[in-house]
Order: sequence, then structure tokens, then C-alpha cells
Amino acid sequence: MALCNFWGKLVTVAGFEADDTLEQDAQLVQQCLQGDGSAWEELVRRHTRRIFNICYRFTGNGTEAEDLSQDVFLRVYKTLGSYRSAHGGFATWMTSVTRNLLIDHYRRTKRDRITDSLEDAMPVVENKESAGRRPDQQLLLGELSSQVQTALTKLSPELREAVILRDLQQLDYNEIRQVLDVPEGTVKSRINRGRIEMARILQQMGVRPS
Amino acid sequence: MTWTCEHIEARLSDYLDGLLSPDERHAFDMHANSCENCGQMVASVSQLVGGLHSMEQIETPPRLVYAILNQTLGPRAAKKGWQSSFGWLRGFTSARFAYYGVSVAATLLILLTASGISLRKPKLADLSPANVYRNVDRQAHLVYARSTKFVSDLRVVYEIQSRLNKDNELSTTPESTVPQSTPGKAPGSTDGTRPATPRQQNRANGLGRELEILASELPVASGQWCGRLLVRRIP
Repeated sequence: MALCNFWGKLVTVAGFEADDTLEQDAQLVQQCLQGDGSAWEELVRRHTRRIFNICYRFTGNGTEAEDLSQDVFLRVYKTLGSYRSAHGGFATWMTSVTRNLLIDHYRRTKRDRITDSLEDAMPVVENKESAGRRPDQQLLLGELSSQVQTALTKLSPELREAVILRDLQQLDYNEIRQVLDVPEGTVKSRINRGRIEMARILQQMGVRPS
Repeated sequence: MTWTCEHIEARLSDYLDGLLSPDERHAFDMHANSCENCGQMVASVSQLVGGLHSMEQIETPPRLVYAILNQTLGPRAAKKGWQSSFGWLRGFTSARFAYYGVSVAATLLILLTASGISLRKPKLADLSPANVYRNVDRQAHLVYARSTKFVSDLRVVYEIQSRLNKDNELSTTPESTVPQSTPGKAPGSTDGTRPATPRQQNRANGLGRELEILASELPVASGQWCGRLLVRRIP
């Protein structure tokens, strides 16, 4: 029961399921298009946290996540007229814009990025007193956040975005299909591969299931 | 159909998301329980998914919203003079704040009245715990005594009123219900008087007895109009 409540709370935070949220977003978008600055401010306040979280989980860097969040909202502001509510919720459309920017950013910074290998990173992480603890305790207590984030950034961008959208943003398969613009089978496959790959990475980092 | 390790790996997320049919789930469990590698993989991925779901959202840096608004709507014009000094007061003019203010003021007023603190002549001594306790106790007793007296008065008034109503009912009985003597048809009683029926007589007697009881319960009233009622109503 507690798990259900918690899940419901998370889903509510994600802001995708509530019809009234969708309606409010659509109304705010209409007001924005009519030149209402306060409506835009309200939209920014409603979605900043979610967009920032997606960017942070994808990049693993707070500063980059802030810059990317600003870019996302700037692009949304410029292209707001192209949004059609008939094609899906505003949040889904915005997530799609975010995803495209993140992929662009990933490709742009690929050469500059220092791609430290998993083998290099392992000893550092293992020293972080992770050994000797039950992983379920660590996970439930939220003590593995940094390790999970590290493992997440080790995934390929395709698998990473699928896991972020499914397991951290709690989008359903259909919404992820819309955001990624790929068939639902591909979405399922990526989520599955991403989860398994991430579990293997965590295992290699010294976080082993009991 | 017996599932292999490849099946388990391919359908692991469907299993965790509850998308397998009962037969598929059974086959999945059968293999996962018998295969050590698959069992470990299922356990680790299951725990990972649980951990990801329990990860909380990261707080947004406070400056981010303003940075976005500056980039999109343009920098806000800095207010000058008294506007910049009293800009923070704008929040107090909202309807919600007014509602909260009125609620708090009403609550304080009730509490102050209950604690017996005089708003016209406030004294510092009224705020001492002993005085507050004494005043509250006094107010509570006063309210209780007043309410008891009020209820008691009401009871007496209603009782008198109900009995008077009965009396009025008796006096305003329609004439059609009173048997008329019909001269020429019935012998006797042709002098124009209308004698009361036995039923009316009984009711009048009963009312008289009730008023006697009431008069004994209300000694103040008994000497005045209740006595007069008795004289007037009881033949």
C-alpha cells in the first residue's frame, strides 16, 4: 500500500497522468500564444523541475543541466506556436524537445568529453564504502544516488534516455514512444537492455545483490 | 514451453512491469528459480528498478527559473524609488492573505474574549498565567450558568405557552361542533343558552387541574394571571 502511495506521488510529480494538468497546460499555452507573459511564467515554474531533472540525470552535471534547461525553455518559447495539443500533452512535447537537445548536446560534446572507461572508474567508486552493505538497504535509503547516477552516465545515450524516461520520470510506454519517435517494441527493448546493462555496471562497481 | 536464459533476458522488463501472462510468468519463475545466473540477474535488476523509482527528484537551483524568464521574456525592468522598497508588500494585498488575516484576527479575538482580557482597558497583569486561568475559569462558569438559566427559562415559557394554546383551542371550538337546541323539534332547552357538552366539561376540568399544578410550580405567577385563569375557566 505504501509503495502504491509512493508510486502515485511520483506519478503525480511527473505530471503526466492528470487530465486537469493537461488541460491547465493547454490553457496556459493558449494564453502564452496570445502574449500573456504571466502564463509563460506559470508554465516555466510548472515544468522547470522536471526538465532540470531529466537534463541532470542525462548529463550527470549540475551546471550542464542548468544550461541545457535554459536552452530547452528558450527553444520551447520560440517554437510554442508549432505545438499541437491534438498530438499529445504539452509535457510530452516538451520532453521530446528536451530529448532532442540532449542528444544534440551529447553529439556535440562527444569529442571533448573525457570518456573514462568503466575499469578506470571502478576502484574510485568501490572505495566509497559501498562494499559490505546490502544493496536493498542502500537503494531504499537513497544512499546509492551517486552510484546510480554514475552507472546511468555509463549507458549509451539511447539506453540512458529510455531508462530515465521510464524509471525516473515514470512515463508510460506510449509517452516514451512519442518522445523518442520510435516503435513501442524498440522502446521496450531499450528499457530492458538499459536496465540489465545498468545492473551489470552496478554489480561491477561492487554493488551486488544479496 | 520451457524458457531459456535468452527468454529471461529478453522478457525481464515485461516481467517486472507485470506485462506477462500467467503462463509466461509461471515459465519465467520456473527458469529463474532453477538458474542461478538468471536468478541473480532478476534480483539485481529488480532492486535497481526499485531504487530508481525511489530516487527523489533533485531540487532546482532557485536562480534557474529567473534565468529562464530573463532569457525568454527579457530582463525585468528594475523598479526605482518607493516601488522597489515596498514591492515586497504586494503579497499582502492578495485575497488569500486577507482571508488568512481575518481568520487569525477572529481566532485571536475569541481567545482574548475567552481569557477575559479587556480590550478596552488592557493590563499587563491580565497576561500572567494565573490571571488567564482564573479569567478563563470564570468565563466558562458564567457561560455555563447563563446557558443553564436560559434553557430553564425557555422550558417554562414553552410550557406556559403550550398550556395557553390548549386553552385557546378550547375557547375557539367552532360553533358547529356545539349541539344546538332546535326549538320545535326537541323538547326543553329553548331558552337560548348553550350548555357545554360532557366532553367539553371534562376538558375544562382537566385544564383546570393542570393549571393548578402549574400554579403550584410557579408560585410567582400563581397569584396573578394564573389565579385569574383558574377563576375564569373553572366553573
